[in-house]
Amino acid sequence: MSRAKRIMKELLAVKDDPAANIKLEFVNESDIEHLKGSFQGPPGTPYEGGIFLVDIEVPMEYPFKPPKMKFDTKVYHPNISSVTGAICLDILKNAWSPVITLKSALISLQALLQSPEPNDPQDAEVAQHYLRDRESFNKTAALWTKLYAVANGSTVGQKQVDEAQLYGIDPNVVEEFESQGFEKEKVIDALRRLGIKSLDPTDNATVNKIVEELLK
Amino acid sequence: MSEVESDSYLSLVYEDELYDNESMELYESQTTAVHCTDEIPCHKFESLQSYESEFDIEDLQFDEEDESEDEPLREQSTHTLDKPSLDGSNLPNLRYESLTTDDIFQRMLQRVDHLQPVLSIPAEDILLLMQRFDWSEERLLEDWTEKADELLIGSGLKRVHEADKEGENGLVRGIKHRESFTCPICCEDKTETFVMECGHEYCTDCYKHYIKDLLNQGNIITCMGCSLALKNEDIDLIMGSASSHKLMDSSIRSFVTKHNRNYKWCPYADCKCIIHLFDASSLEEYTRLHCSKFVTCKSNHSFCFTCGYEMHAPADCSVVSAWVKKAKKESENLNWVLAHTKECPKCSVNIEKNGGCNHMVCSSCKYEFCWICGGEWAPHGNSYYQCTVYKSDDDKGKSDKDDLRKTLKRYTFYYRVFNEHEVSAKLDWKLGQNIGHKVRALQESVGVSWIEGQFLPESLKILNEGRTALKWSFAVAFYSDPSHNLTKIFADNQLLLSNAVEDLSQLRQIQDPETIMQRKTEFYNKAGYVENRTHALMECGRDLLRKGICKTKD
Repeated sequence: MSRAKRIMKELLAVKDDPAANIKLEFVNESDIEHLKGSFQGPPGTPYEGGIFLVDIEVPMEYPFKPPKMKFDTKVYHPNISSVTGAICLDILKNAWSPVITLKSALISLQALLQSPEPNDPQDAEVAQHYLRDRESFNKTAALWTKLYAVANGSTVGQKQVDEAQLYGIDPNVVEEFESQGFEKEKVIDALRRLGIKSLDPTDNATVNKIVEELLK
Repeated sequence: MSEVESDSYLSLVYEDELYDNESMELYESQTTAVHCTDEIPCHKFESLQSYESEFDIEDLQFDEEDESEDEPLREQSTHTLDKPSLDGSNLPNLRYESLTTDDIFQRMLQRVDHLQPVLSIPAEDILLLMQRFDWSEERLLEDWTEKADELLIGSGLKRVHEADKEGENGLVRGIKHRESFTCPICCEDKTETFVMECGHEYCTDCYKHYIKDLLNQGNIITCMGCSLALKNEDIDLIMGSASSHKLMDSSIRSFVTKHNRNYKWCPYADCKCIIHLFDASSLEEYTRLHCSKFVTCKSNHSFCFTCGYEMHAPADCSVVSAWVKKAKKESENLNWVLAHTKECPKCSVNIEKNGGCNHMVCSSCKYEFCWICGGEWAPHGNSYYQCTVYKSDDDKGKSDKDDLRKTLKRYTFYYRVFNEHEVSAKLDWKLGQNIGHKVRALQESVGVSWIEGQFLPESLKILNEGRTALKWSFAVAFYSDPSHNLTKIFADNQLLLSNAVEDLSQLRQIQDPETIMQRKTEFYNKAGYVENRTHALMECGRDLLRKGICKTKD
């Protein structure tokens, strides 16, 4: 079966090139359809220093059909769902070609982290954040990298993080509404829905919009 | 029934119509005018043509005006009414042709040939470029004059690095036979490969797999490793058979979509015919006169060129769209989906209708009733068929609420009859599927010639047309002002056609070949009568539309 042969060859190719810092292995030795890949966050980006784990499913028709890839590691990125890890990348869809390998696909994912495509977003909330306030976005993405993209999965999510911070929301804004008697969780939810990360307290229109959302 | 009787039917119609002199005058003046349109005769001709098409399709398909002389049925059908003249005073004669995808492809190739002297690149390459530009020569030529090189590279017809000339690296596109080659795609050792000028070489098995997936998408297929395009001949070479036509099919689809003013796909499922209307500009004239251009494809499917719906005369496209929308809405909101079985009005046994005739005989209690109204059949018999007329309640002093209920009731009535006729038409159509057997049975057991037996399919065709017209006439009736005299005339016409259709439908229930042959004249007479009534109803319906008595928006 050519698919098995090809996958084995691809695994070898990854092992033969340690400089790429890419890992690719079977989840279970008896199942050639399910792999896990990982790569390092590209330097000079908020993802630097992180190790990103990707779940790979190889379809029957591989390499004529693209593999199904999604992030196991939580990533804060416009083209990656912050909830499911689903990826929006053309080569994994219609631009797939049989010459693309799992390794080159992983490298493409690395490149995607380097250069997001906010105009073709997978996660609208994140993309909006990216477009409106790059600095705040970078902070949040770096925070997510620090929190989730750590080498040893065991420590993931152990640290208690302020939820407002996790979504790049100014804690002062949350406190402001908490002091008005709204629950913290609800305030964060509402702010996320509206895509508001920070607030000018004199901007009454926005304040009203938030209150309206909270009272829904 | 004899011919005389059928004539008496007709005289009855005219007497009946005369009860309203004023509108009758108007009506008659219109009637003759409408007779002059080419539409009906042309349509009739096509229906005949379809049976002759077994012998020769090509010769006949465009001759709409040609009157078929040797059709006995036709002579029968026109002997009672004025022979329609073909001066086309009202409607432009819209000529069309029915094409297959092959015909379209030939045309595409012709266009490519036209471009060849201008572009002076191989015809194959122009085909690819045209695909890329969705068959717009203008855009292609514009891009060509501005940036020919970029265009060629972008379309995968030229390599990015002009430097490596062909032959320099010894790479010639084509299939290669190698002693040992490990394909980078499947990682197997293969001996047969395909290589392109770009140097990318993969085994033909992988190429086959790759191309097979892409053929249905209709995009230009490129080398697996870069953007150099595979030409149709390469595809055929790799696949080992003529496969590029599949790619062309999708290109044809885009061609037809681009030219949807003049070209339309036959809307019937799995039908690959395309209708080409020579002069689409006159379609507006049809719309203005509440007429529709009905066309028939090579597979003998008739449909309206404008809306793609089945033949819907006497209704025009706007009535059809309003009616269909309403039916959809109502069926969702009010659950109008009618069950296909009915209880016998006498013994309540569930009955499914499996034939086209509305004369039902309960198999359990032998009660004879009318499928539409559920009433006893005897009064329907040979006299007037009351089921097509909606009797409006004349009770006065009812509130608005009742008005609403009345509208709904009125709609339900019309929708139900519409539906009944649709179901009947479908059943008739099913019957028609084995009409060939019936004709063969005639040939074998009674010894008639094939051509002599053709009255059977002919009469079925006419029956179907009659039913379809009747069906859509209820949509027209629903939107017509019920108080107007012409509406009443229209209802009478419906009644007559309905009667005629039921008569003919009943005749078609006869199974025994000998009886069929004995009653051959009856078939002729009744079919001819149905045809006449159908045309009368269509004209009357068109008048309703023209005079604004039938309006979809109120």
